[in-house]
Amino acid sequence: MRKTVLETGSLVAPTWLLVVGLVVSVHASSARAETGAEIFKTRCAPCHTIGGGRLVGPDLKGVSERRDEAWIIHFVQSPATAIEAGDATAVALSKEFAPTVMPDQPLTKAEIVSVLDYIRSGGEGSAAPEPEPEASPAEIARGEALFQGKVRLENGGPACNSCHDVKHADVIGGGVLARELTTVFSRLGGSGVRAILGSPPFPVMQQAYLGRPLTKDEVTSLVGFLRSADEHHALRQPRDYGPKLAISGVIGAAILFILYALLWRKRRKKSVNQAIYDRQIASSN
Amino acid sequence: MNALNALNAFLFIGLPYAAMLIFVIGLALRYRNRGFTITSLSSEFLEGRALFWGVVPFHFGLLVILTGHFLAFLLPSATLAWNSEPLRLIILEVSAFTFGVSVLVGLLALMVRRVVNPRVRAVTTPMDVVVELLLLAQVILGCWIALGYRWGSSWFAADLSPYLWSLLKLSPQTDAVYALPWVIKLHIVGAFLLVLLVPFSRLAHIFVAPLHYFARPYQQVIWNWDRKRIRDPSRGWRKARP
Repeated sequence: MRKTVLETGSLVAPTWLLVVGLVVSVHASSARAETGAEIFKTRCAPCHTIGGGRLVGPDLKGVSERRDEAWIIHFVQSPATAIEAGDATAVALSKEFAPTVMPDQPLTKAEIVSVLDYIRSGGEGSAAPEPEPEASPAEIARGEALFQGKVRLENGGPACNSCHDVKHADVIGGGVLARELTTVFSRLGGSGVRAILGSPPFPVMQQAYLGRPLTKDEVTSLVGFLRSADEHHALRQPRDYGPKLAISGVIGAAILFILYALLWRKRRKKSVNQAIYDRQIASSN
Repeated sequence: MNALNALNAFLFIGLPYAAMLIFVIGLALRYRNRGFTITSLSSEFLEGRALFWGVVPFHFGLLVILTGHFLAFLLPSATLAWNSEPLRLIILEVSAFTFGVSVLVGLLALMVRRVVNPRVRAVTTPMDVVVELLLLAQVILGCWIALGYRWGSSWFAADLSPYLWSLLKLSPQTDAVYALPWVIKLHIVGAFLLVLLVPFSRLAHIFVAPLHYFARPYQQVIWNWDRKRIRDPSRGWRKARP
């Protein structure tokens, strides 16, 4: 008879496949090839300019002269690690731009160097955004509807409250996967919020809106809504669920158990051979 | 590439492909060579009372939960459209959590039964224990995510459905998954480990679910006499059956 993996109980084949998987994965993850310009536009431009002045983070013009390249690479890959390690420059930057901490960037050394080359070349199309126009009450109302999905985003992206919460009486409690946005306007300013909505620098948000970006009008409405939520948040009660979700689930499960009992009320309550088993046990004692 | 990136690449690219490959090849080999072992080996014959309170809540809960995950994977846009009305979103999330609790309670009941009942303990294999512990971790993580990272149905459709599709299209897009909290990452890894274990464990019984029971006619059991009257001691024995 032929012996198979399962019959011999051998784990040789699965182990080999895992090794192959590891090799494939290492290759696949290093197979990206974006230019410095592309990376700058998607990851850096929401918060930084090249010669356009300070935005959410510092103006990056001449950054290669100001800082050592090895330091930049280390910092960009994980700003939080550099700050925690007590790096003096990183700590000073985090104080200057508090409370916003730059998110970790999953970029390789080569990719960061290509971005630095792009910055050194002067970087086209990275000028500071135009000043923020004031949103009308109608736009703020539309922003509120867009935020919680009552009006779908034109290109089919998920509503903001899938991942974000905002303290607002008319908005249902939002998601808690990403940051709470009640005071985002104070933290990042209109141009920062607008830049992030236009070109999200965070990988999870990037994926969520990949191929279905927000339109210019939607961004204006959402920025207006977030500004109004920020300005009035002290007067508003948050719609927090607390333990209500958990309690509803437990009550729901209790109802399910009653249903199971009713649906199977005619079930056989003992195993068929319980009497035979009991007699065997009794006579062997 | 640093160690964390390598670990992420292994867990979310290498492991999924290895799991899917082992799943397909292993299941085909097991079906071809030892087809009769594709079963969960019912223990209702050994113990029935506690089994009911474990097996029914566990399986019905799991059917609903898995269908939910599968639908959000297959139809992400429809899921987002459904969730666009806040009330519908809350109904979906609370119902999903309800069935999650049903799975958790059912699984715990089954595990207690396995430990307490000597007859069930006698037919327990080490792989049963591995599978049950992994399932328990998976269910606890799932309930934790439902409450701790709420509106999972929406962000699953927005972020994890594209990731799973990218795996199937052989061009993995993993940046978003790498950036997720570890609770969610562990839930994803647990799912692929369960897929990997299917050919080596009782999990294979998913593929021999007796779905034809829904469509087949009732089994007709015909008695040619009245069973109660024939055993009635107040009636004497008769030659002819009543």
